Amino acid sequence: MYGWTGTILRIDLTKGKVTREATDIKMAHDYIGARGLGGKIITDELDPATDALSPDNKLIFAPGPFTGTFAPSAGRYEVVTKGPLNNVIAASNSGGAFGPELKYAGYDALIIEGKAAKPTYLWISDDKVEIRDAAAIWGHDTPDTTDLVRAETDEEAKVACIGPAGEHLSVISNIMNEMHRAAGRTGVGAVMGSKNLKAIAVYGTGSVQVADPDRFKAAVMNARKLIQAHPVGGAGLKAYGTDVLVNILNQTGALPTRNFQDGYFPTADKTGGESLAAKQLQRSKGCFSCIISCGRVSKVDNPDYKGFGEGPEYETAWSFGADCGIDDLDAITKANFICNEYGMDTISLGSTIACAMELFEMGVITTKDTDGIQLTFGNAAAMVEMVRKAGKGEGFGAKLAQGSYRLAESYGHPELSMTCKKQEMPAYDPRGVQGIGLNYATGNRGGCHVRGYTIAIEVLQNGAVMDPRVTEGKAGLDILFQNLTAALDSSGACLFSTFGIGGAELAEMLSALTGVEYSLDEFLKIGERIWNQERLWNLKQGYTTADDTLPDRLLNDPIKTGPAKGEVSHLDQMLPEYYSLRGWDEKGVPGKAKLKELALN
Amino acid sequence: MIIKYFATIRTYTGESDRRVDDPPPTLGPLLEALAARYGRPFRRAVFTGDELNPEIIILVNGRNVLYSGRLAAPLAADDEISIFPMVAGG
Amino acid sequence: MAKVLMIHPDKCTGCRNCELACSFEHEGQFRPSAARVQAFTWEREGISVPMMCQQCDDAACVTVCPTGAMHRSNTMENLVDWDAATCIRCKMCTIACPFGNARYDAASSSIFKCDTCQGAPECVTFCPSGALEFVDDEQHVRARKKAYAAKFKDAFQEVS
Repeated sequence: MYGWTGTILRIDLTKGKVTREATDIKMAHDYIGARGLGGKIITDELDPATDALSPDNKLIFAPGPFTGTFAPSAGRYEVVTKGPLNNVIAASNSGGAFGPELKYAGYDALIIEGKAAKPTYLWISDDKVEIRDAAAIWGHDTPDTTDLVRAETDEEAKVACIGPAGEHLSVISNIMNEMHRAAGRTGVGAVMGSKNLKAIAVYGTGSVQVADPDRFKAAVMNARKLIQAHPVGGAGLKAYGTDVLVNILNQTGALPTRNFQDGYFPTADKTGGESLAAKQLQRSKGCFSCIISCGRVSKVDNPDYKGFGEGPEYETAWSFGADCGIDDLDAITKANFICNEYGMDTISLGSTIACAMELFEMGVITTKDTDGIQLTFGNAAAMVEMVRKAGKGEGFGAKLAQGSYRLAESYGHPELSMTCKKQEMPAYDPRGVQGIGLNYATGNRGGCHVRGYTIAIEVLQNGAVMDPRVTEGKAGLDILFQNLTAALDSSGACLFSTFGIGGAELAEMLSALTGVEYSLDEFLKIGERIWNQERLWNLKQGYTTADDTLPDRLLNDPIKTGPAKGEVSHLDQMLPEYYSLRGWDEKGVPGKAKLKELALN
Repeated sequence: MIIKYFATIRTYTGESDRRVDDPPPTLGPLLEALAARYGRPFRRAVFTGDELNPEIIILVNGRNVLYSGRLAAPLAADDEISIFPMVAGG
Repeated sequence: MAKVLMIHPDKCTGCRNCELACSFEHEGQFRPSAARVQAFTWEREGISVPMMCQQCDDAACVTVCPTGAMHRSNTMENLVDWDAATCIRCKMCTIACPFGNARYDAASSSIFKCDTCQGAPECVTFCPSGALEFVDDEQHVRARKKAYAAKFKDAFQEVS
């Protein structure tokens, strides 16, 4: 096989059994890999009523066909499972080098089932698979876990693991690989923890084959040229990282501030990519096969927050920054390092702390609840202390580790949780940017920006422009982004390659690599299929059109200050057209004709 | 009027912001005056020939000038201008 | 003037495009464990360093080779070449190289060491950060030397 390896590994931790299966070729063609393939396996094999933290859930690690080749910035993989945060098909994307190593070991996917009797790790070395005792490793942070596992396996093994947060089943815990990269959202770390699985080490000496080497190389050289010529893909992200977005979102008036109470944060510049480059940046870093190098290797010298690691990304600089009313970059970066070490989603945790800060300032919770800590907006030291507690699951941290929806609801104020379908919204205020609000509301995994990043057009002028304040055309824009991204996420490519290339270049590279001809239309149709597949699963979970919404604050409370003062989200002007263009009925249910067209049942 | 510079634009101007009293009535002449002050790298960043460079993002009070006339965008004395190169992230 | 494959570890981002380009060029597939260049990453320090054969003038691998399979190329400057036909796979070269830059690959029954792709190194083409350069030996360190000289220039400029 070309691109794909042709083999899937199924590991039953209850029985201690390892099975090699042939990759279903038709499934690979129709769903590509990673997000799409993983989602199809979950749809086919998992009873929708399965408890996400029970041994019956399945945890899938799946790279895409590009993963392990030199398609530019295309070394990604997905962790796919039923998400414990909100019961959706969780598909969390990560970079680093773990995905490619799975391909070299010979696998299109790992499907992990059941639950080990005791803490366990997996050692996969080409076709040799061992289920090993992790008693000495359980409890360690992710960097130590990585080193300990490599000492027992191979120094050059790539390791995906959970930290203490995944061990204590936080529904906002993540899975880290290469110490600094994260499969972040929807609580995938807790699924791994619920299976008593601490880590997976993989090393491969195999290869990824190419159907048409000359055509593939030409397509890759063309794609590289386009990305390198793009101001963002070629230079901007390498110089400043994603954190460069702080200022442009703030100057647009759409930087959510103090738990989305406002959209403008006057001292935001202190937390942006320019400040990061000046004060903390050591060098840029790139994932496997990446030509963009958006990664930040950072150092904090301030003795209160001393640390060394990678990040922060824009979302993190926001969630622990403006969203908490904090402008101390040292504290923000330290919070980021702690999240990586303990294995926590920075977006969800920062937003949850912001929610707690609002509850505290309202007097709904007091220092009696917060272990004596003054959890007020702007208190950087308190924020960092809470991040640590959440990572450990200690004291008030145990509540924070269950996300803002469960936290706010437990105190009688669910309206203060800035979530969609229980997942925290990221760093763009829907009142200032209409299209991203529609994307949050209709997102299959809840509040999420990456799966329909209309910001690229509404704010960043990437290839095209649309006024962020209008609703016209946003339904169509969202659908295009959502479909393209679903296909892209299934191929192994990194979303940031779209600063330079689009579906046409991806389809050409995929065709040359696999020997299967994908037109641009077919590539987008696969994305549409994957999106509808995820939607169908959500309907089975009991999600309805009532859940395709935003918090009341964004629909009814105008932004208070800044350039977007007075704006609210006009979701109601976009949602009906969205359903209609998608071929769904007025309740958001995919119609029979659409399902037939996509070969879904 | 206050003009704020971001990312690589700061390296061309050597500063993060500048006050301008009595600005011209539209964007074009303002950018001309700034280009005269800061030199060629700044000029190349904001202009492509006589047009606004498609790779520059300019906001007036948070609104992109592409929607208010580009170089003909009207300016008022108490406006806040933000100038960005194309940036991105996620 | 001979060309040198110069390494700048300070610019390496750890992306391993060099390994992929090398493997693809030599084998038409992506098998980085077989690449002649390897970029090592230390995650805690956030530093990566690519390593490949440096085509030693007085090469230990050439000295120990019993058949002359490892030899200084007489068609290309600054290249230690390997001849598959005369090699007996004794692996003495892999033992002799103090840098670990010659490797025996059982899968292909070959000695893997950088051959600069016969003067057009693919790793250099694919490196996105300029960490690898194929450059005249007259100037392969010039930029680095000058960058440090500039520090003296700045210091003296201030006081004089």
